[in-house]
Amino acid sequence: MTTTVYQDHASASGAHVARKPWPWAKIGSIALLLVCSAIMIAPFLWIMQAAFSDAAAAYVLPPRLFPSAPTLDNFYAVFDLVPFGSFILNSLFVATTITIGQLITCSMGAYAFARLEFPGKRVLFVVLLATLMIPLQVTIVPQFILMRQTGLYNTHAAIILPALVSPFGIFLLRQYFMTIPTELEDAARIDGAGYFTIFWRIIMPLSAPALTTLGIVCFVYWWNEYFIPLIMINSPELQLLPVGLTLLRGRYSAGAVGNVAAGVTMAVIPVLIIFLFFQRHIIKSIATTGLKG
Amino acid sequence: MVSRLLPQSPLRRKEILAAYLFLLPTLIGFAVFIVGPMFAALGLSVVQWNLLSAPQFAGLANYQKLLSDTRIDDIYLTTFKIALATMALKLLLGLVLAVLLDQKLHRWLSGFFRLSFFFPYVVSVTAVALMWSFLMNKDLGLVNYLLGQIGIERIPWLNSSAWSPVAVVITDVWKELGFYVIVFLGGLQSIPSEFYDAAQVDGANRWQIFSRVTLPLLSPTILFLSVIGMIGSVQIFAQPQILTDGGPGDATRTIVMYIYEQGFRFFDMGYASTIALSLFVVIFILTLLQFRLSRRWVFYQ
Repeated sequence: MTTTVYQDHASASGAHVARKPWPWAKIGSIALLLVCSAIMIAPFLWIMQAAFSDAAAAYVLPPRLFPSAPTLDNFYAVFDLVPFGSFILNSLFVATTITIGQLITCSMGAYAFARLEFPGKRVLFVVLLATLMIPLQVTIVPQFILMRQTGLYNTHAAIILPALVSPFGIFLLRQYFMTIPTELEDAARIDGAGYFTIFWRIIMPLSAPALTTLGIVCFVYWWNEYFIPLIMINSPELQLLPVGLTLLRGRYSAGAVGNVAAGVTMAVIPVLIIFLFFQRHIIKSIATTGLKG
Repeated sequence: MVSRLLPQSPLRRKEILAAYLFLLPTLIGFAVFIVGPMFAALGLSVVQWNLLSAPQFAGLANYQKLLSDTRIDDIYLTTFKIALATMALKLLLGLVLAVLLDQKLHRWLSGFFRLSFFFPYVVSVTAVALMWSFLMNKDLGLVNYLLGQIGIERIPWLNSSAWSPVAVVITDVWKELGFYVIVFLGGLQSIPSEFYDAAQVDGANRWQIFSRVTLPLLSPTILFLSVIGMIGSVQIFAQPQILTDGGPGDATRTIVMYIYEQGFRFFDMGYASTIALSLFVVIFILTLLQFRLSRRWVFYQ
């Protein structure tokens, strides 16, 4: 309070004495930030103008924001060349299934670690966390063989099943569950509630923020995942969007710029819309956890 | 505590049963898809198997191959070079941008900056790599056009062994920088203002405040980012795969691309597993090393 009064007084009298100097440092830093923003945005603008240009105009230099004769041909071509609609539906299905699955398995596991006592708890928890150190490439070769021998290779199950467990997700939710006070549970227990009722009726509703965070991080990760579908899926009509996009280039990368650009545009626009709507939550979720499936 | 004294009580048995039931899906998935494959990888590393004929015991042949493989030395070297360069750039630029952002700005302006920096991070790596493969086209790309405006000759970004690793680094830094900025910004904003007030009272100038107050208090954030950054960038795959397919020659072939090539193009399951295990050891040592070194420079409040 006192400082505000003091500042008001100072600025009132300062008008007579000396003008405030131009904040050069601030202007300079804003200019620098604007340049960096431009570098981040320009590639997206370029790809979009290429998507709406005909073959001859896509690469025209100097670049323009709007093509002189905009066309939708590239977008039609994308659907002719590859099963683009299937890519999107497949990606939606796989990412949603994994996200729901992880929310269930991870919250159940996290509840056991946060609230229940059982033999081997400590060891199990440490082993679980230690496996975070194992790079995916070590387990992917045996997983690939397993999927081929069980006939799951080239099905969405080959991607979904291994992704349903996540030591990282368990750890994240356990940390949150530990912060929930136990009074409510004690009261419920006196009323005769069992472990499952407590988990489902008390812990889960109170954990919405942590569940949202895990959900966002998991969905974004699997929506964008490239390595695993590349290995596990062979048929184009079952392929997920990230690998599907590269198919637009065709063999020897000879595909037309406009077609690939249209594919990229269609892949980016939904992400942009969702991102603009939920940006605060998305940025916070990913910044506090890192992206990890 | 009471329940520990009464291991046989029915209530206690019920709790244990409940715990294992809650953990059941995790334990099954964990055994089948993580622990099992982990041991299977060890087993695969001593066999020769192309999936067509029956696996044959090969002793240490795969490990001997690993040690005498002339390609793998170059590939590891390329991987480390790319990883180090992207790490250093992401940490440095991330910190600079976060410091610039950490000032009183109009709400819309700071929102716009955060949005534009962070957006590439949530876009799929394929879309990003495809985009940059056009932008870095030698004759028609936007990058060379802009460089041409300031008198720099066309750079063969994707077709020369000198420049293609640089192209991979640029693409990766551009995509991931936003994550570093946001995490650094979080670190900066968690520093209590008393520290700055105290330094100001003592007459410290801006640079002194930054190097003696901000940096030490930010060191745990820097450690966190360099550990997860190192683990991530040693495993870089999609960017070089899409931009250059590892070329020209092996100039941008990273270790994960090599595993992919041996395992899923040549179907040499044994050797692919052996290389993957070597990567596990490398990541383990690098992580350990970073934590060891961190004792010297990380300052915990």
